[in-house]
Amino acid sequence: MTADRSLHDRAFQRIMRGLIDTGRAPHYAEVARALGLPVDDGRRLLREVMQAYPIGWLHPDTDYIASFPPLNNLPTQYRVTVRGEQRWFAQCGFEATSVTWLFPGETVRVEAPCLDCGDPVTIEMRDGRIVWADPPEVVGHLNYGFGPSRGQPPFL
Amino acid sequence: MNLFRSEEHARRWPAFQARSAEGFIALADLGGLFGTESRRHMLDADYLSSWYPRRAAERRAYLERIGKTSPFWLGTPDAVQ
Repeated sequence: MTADRSLHDRAFQRIMRGLIDTGRAPHYAEVARALGLPVDDGRRLLREVMQAYPIGWLHPDTDYIASFPPLNNLPTQYRVTVRGEQRWFAQCGFEATSVTWLFPGETVRVEAPCLDCGDPVTIEMRDGRIVWADPPEVVGHLNYGFGPSRGQPPFL
Repeated sequence: MNLFRSEEHARRWPAFQARSAEGFIALADLGGLFGTESRRHMLDADYLSSWYPRRAAERRAYLERIGKTSPFWLGTPDAVQ
């Protein structure tokens, strides 16, 4: 089975909506059920979607979604709180600034320990605007450079 | 791709790569880089097929606008020395 673009789009939205609604990515069996497909077609569809969205990834040697940016199914240090609930994790510090677009009209709070000292880094965003940063000197840092030429995982 | 309390904190990070001295980006610029037009359509039904493919070009244009045009930022091969 090679699914058409429309089916890829529907599967993508089912996964993303699942993450947004529950903080967890659905299993491919749930994706299949939602789209009216046999379970094994759901597994193949998941793999096709991840190929089409290569900035996310499955946990190695499994069909479990590890990362589906800007959110992560595997917990990271970038904890995301919306409406007072910390249910979500961002893929990395950079993608954390994109989570705001998944929660229109809401204040999205990202908290992480600084990798140097462990003290908190906190930002709050609303509809793309940064409304709070603590400390105000918070900075983003790219350690290996973008692109495959750097030879390092893109999230580092 | 991390957030630090300040540049000084990042430079003290044991995993800090010497080359990444050019890897700092102000929080406001980061919000812009990860807030380009396609990002605002992640909840659209056709995001994967229609919007996601635009992202690389948007990112490059934004990086050029804020002056981050080195191979390190653009993901292009390094010049042969």
